[in-house]
Amino acid sequence: MSGSMNSEASAEPNLTPMLDLVFQLITFFMLVTNFKAASLDLNLKLPVVGSARPLETEGEDLLILNIDSVGKLNVYGVTQNVERYIKAEAKVSRSAAKRLNPNFKADDDLPTTIVVRADKQTPFNLLNVVIKTCQDNGFRKFALKAMNKEDG
Amino acid sequence: MSHKRKKRKGSENVELNLAAMLDMAFQLLAFFILTFKPSPIEGQINLKLPPPLPVAGAPGGQKAGNNDQNKNAVQSFESLVISVFSKPNGGISTMAIGEANVAGVSALEGRLKAVLSDANSPFKQVIIQVASRLKYAELMRVVDVCTRQTLPTGEKLTKLSFVELPTE
Repeated sequence: MSGSMNSEASAEPNLTPMLDLVFQLITFFMLVTNFKAASLDLNLKLPVVGSARPLETEGEDLLILNIDSVGKLNVYGVTQNVERYIKAEAKVSRSAAKRLNPNFKADDDLPTTIVVRADKQTPFNLLNVVIKTCQDNGFRKFALKAMNKEDG
Repeated sequence: MSHKRKKRKGSENVELNLAAMLDMAFQLLAFFILTFKPSPIEGQINLKLPPPLPVAGAPGGQKAGNNDQNKNAVQSFESLVISVFSKPNGGISTMAIGEANVAGVSALEGRLKAVLSDANSPFKQVIIQVASRLKYAELMRVVDVCTRQTLPTGEKLTKLSFVELPTE
């Protein structure tokens, strides 16, 4: 039996459509990925308030404070000392405000908005420690986070 | 002059090796899939929280007892005081606007509307005196009612202050 196997049949799949599809998926995930979510402690159960609406905060300077039910301040998953952390952030905010506005005085209200994400079980006395520390350091603008409907 | 003729063997087939690019694209895709965490849609209530001020005082920094002839009345500082007391479990037990008790959060809304809709209402900010054990969820119900109110000037009430009441 004579048979020459000179040329083996090469089966090369056409990868172009698959690559197209993968790029489409990458584009989708790039657009929907929000790295800001890393600063949110998703273990907290926020209170439900009907009138709380998502507001446009693009371009605003925000300082997100996650406060759990025992009053601990969590920033990017690390528990911080309230006094020290807020003092340091106030210093940063003040120097940024001075850079933008040379007429900014040391005792002016800071332009940063404090975003309070507190657990719904947090007693007021523990929450008040954080709010009061912020006020003592010159922060006046606050945003209290809440869900506008119960989680399903 | 000799004229060399180029031989056209037929257009050469340039084939790009897509496998390497596909590998890289899959790496990127895996990264984005693994880091993807849809964040919940959260609402917020924006407030301006100045430090609490006294609700009344003598005008112009006058001191009591300095002058017998001075008949100036004590001046109010345009703050409406709401007190919220708590049950041992952190829920709302009783509430009051000034000295007058209020039955619940819905009654508070009615009373606040009545007080603030009066064109002669002097109030520009609200001081909420909160029991230390009151839970944040309950406090937010009160804050929600307050921030829904409109001042006689037409602007929304966003100026609130919190004061902690001593533990009963």
